[in-house]
Amino acid sequence: MRRVLLLGSPNSGKSSLFNRLTGLSQRVANYPGITVDVASGPMVSLPDTELVDFPGTYSLEPISGEEAIAVSFLNEALADDNVSHVLCVADATRLEKCLHFILQVIRECQLHQKPVTILANMSDVIRDNQLHFDPIGLSEALGVQVISVSARESQGFESLVECLGVDAALNLHADRNWRETPNEILRGTAQQLAEKFSPKGDVLINSQLRLDRFFLSTALGGLAFFAIMFLFFQSIFTWSAPIMDAVESVVSGLGQAVVPLIPNKVIADFVADALFGGVGAFLVFVPQIFVLTLVIGIMEDSGYLARAALICHRPLRVFGLTGKSFIPLLSGVACAIPAIYAARSVDSPRQRMMTYLAIPLMPCSARLPVYALLIATFIPSDTALFGLIGWQGMALFAIYFFGMLVALLVTGFVSKASKNKQPEQPFVLELPPYRLPTAKPLLRNAWNRCQQFVTQAGKIILAVTMVVWVLGYFPNGGADLGQSWLGTLGHFVEPVFAPLGLDWRYGIAILTSFLAREVFVGTLGTIFGIEGSEENMLPLVDHIQASGLPLGSGIALLVFFAVALQCVSTVVILAREGSSRLALTMLVSYLVGAYLLSLLVFQIVSVLL
Amino acid sequence: MNNASAVKALWDLRPGEAATVTGFGDTLPVSYQGRVMEFGFQPGARVRCLLNPGFGAPRVYGISNSVFSLDREIAAAVHVAINNSVEGLA
Repeated sequence: MRRVLLLGSPNSGKSSLFNRLTGLSQRVANYPGITVDVASGPMVSLPDTELVDFPGTYSLEPISGEEAIAVSFLNEALADDNVSHVLCVADATRLEKCLHFILQVIRECQLHQKPVTILANMSDVIRDNQLHFDPIGLSEALGVQVISVSARESQGFESLVECLGVDAALNLHADRNWRETPNEILRGTAQQLAEKFSPKGDVLINSQLRLDRFFLSTALGGLAFFAIMFLFFQSIFTWSAPIMDAVESVVSGLGQAVVPLIPNKVIADFVADALFGGVGAFLVFVPQIFVLTLVIGIMEDSGYLARAALICHRPLRVFGLTGKSFIPLLSGVACAIPAIYAARSVDSPRQRMMTYLAIPLMPCSARLPVYALLIATFIPSDTALFGLIGWQGMALFAIYFFGMLVALLVTGFVSKASKNKQPEQPFVLELPPYRLPTAKPLLRNAWNRCQQFVTQAGKIILAVTMVVWVLGYFPNGGADLGQSWLGTLGHFVEPVFAPLGLDWRYGIAILTSFLAREVFVGTLGTIFGIEGSEENMLPLVDHIQASGLPLGSGIALLVFFAVALQCVSTVVILAREGSSRLALTMLVSYLVGAYLLSLLVFQIVSVLL
Repeated sequence: MNNASAVKALWDLRPGEAATVTGFGDTLPVSYQGRVMEFGFQPGARVRCLLNPGFGAPRVYGISNSVFSLDREIAAAVHVAINNSVEGLA
């Protein structure tokens, strides 16, 4: 299958175009040799052509790790014989910021004998605002074909398909040779072309300025930021509850239907306890992951995330971070792994390291099942304001806030304690226009994230619950958990967790959660032997309440999970992106810190109550 | 409207003020100078300050139809000549 590369600057509409051209049938995978997510998929109109969505970059002269990887990927891809064509997307309404990149891409494509076509996106905005854009003139000036397209309205795609069908050699214009042109000359040429071909005026700014005046104003902007963050956390817990209830019902119904059909008692116990008790209890939280990813996607696509980065820049600098750390940190609320990759966008190596330090402390979605379980155990489910605001949501907001506060205190302390040998890197960020997010790609992305969560975490959870079940079931056939192999192991480690008011069952659950945090819930589900119709959170909550877990231990557990680095995948990615030393130091120090903090909290709560 | 031609730093522009980029100071790293030039902050380009969010936060500047946020380190190193004032943007 031949490949066509899709390049473009950030905010040029490249991803929307990719989704339109592939009909959202893309798969996301690491490109061989490069740890970067690259989406690819067959084109709807040319099923024998695979479109590869190149990571967005402003220039082929990188200033960040993320851009350096993107450039390295481009060089590798241009040397690939299967790559038959390069499409470079430009925002036709903001041509001046794209032209230098376009010229660089044309030069590289000419050097590698690859045909290139410029896709001038946003032709609908040009038309609606009566702006003037001359694609034919620009095509003559550049020496490559320029096609006006609109990703939003799927316009101009016929010309694109026709262009890709033409013999590659026809697209190589010998009369415009950029091969030997240095970057300085390209920059000057880009400026001249921008003056001649960029749509004149700034009418598009004025509409976006009205919203920016509100969202970036000193008082109202700050309030709006906190209101949006508050709603963000409420949406994860309170608003996703009805979907969670539905999943619980399905899992419960399946358990009731399947388990009685199994004649063998051991297998029936295994299916009931390990599968429906362990894995089933974790599946209930998938809707929350879906809502979380969806809301982050809405903020990103609407253009608000860039404003939030601007708002946070100054406060984050106090803690050794930058406004550009905000997006990785918020991504860390979903999962630390993509967040660590996203930290490549932080230009300064020192600030990137600080961002790495903060990311594992962000309340990731793997913590969510643990938080949800403990909060449901100790906090009543009462709501106010017609069900929009709930105490459990407030508690979740508080523990999320605690995790973020610890993250900032850690980076602030390390930043102050370590000497900075390099000057601080400056902050420059494009503020994309506000746009109404498109539902389909957002839903697709949230769905993909859930799939990834279930398939990756699910494998670990299934393996761990099977081992835990076997250890807990034998040698006495599940008659007495305390006398099982698991019980023996639990009693052995109990002294470590006893100072936190936790017995051996919670000790075992904590130990298994070092593979992945959410395993804690599945392990407890297996240990408490939840069966049949009880494979959901509420019976597990009942079991925990009945086990006599004190409030101080519950809060200590919340604190422990907020601080400890209990994710093997995160440690591996930290070692790869940062260094092995950094990953090991973080693993040990966050574990010791988590234990000491939770011990302190348990002692304080025990004295107070 | 004001038709002065004083040279100052981009950071010194007040919201609503427009100016023409004249050059760059030595304090700006070369890589960042290249990047802001790629964004359109080229000598001769017309730029206007759109917003000052306050508390030392990066300020918001418009070039043609694009909007960028620049902090003091960059904006103080971009030299501009004030040649016009745009009403109604403060």
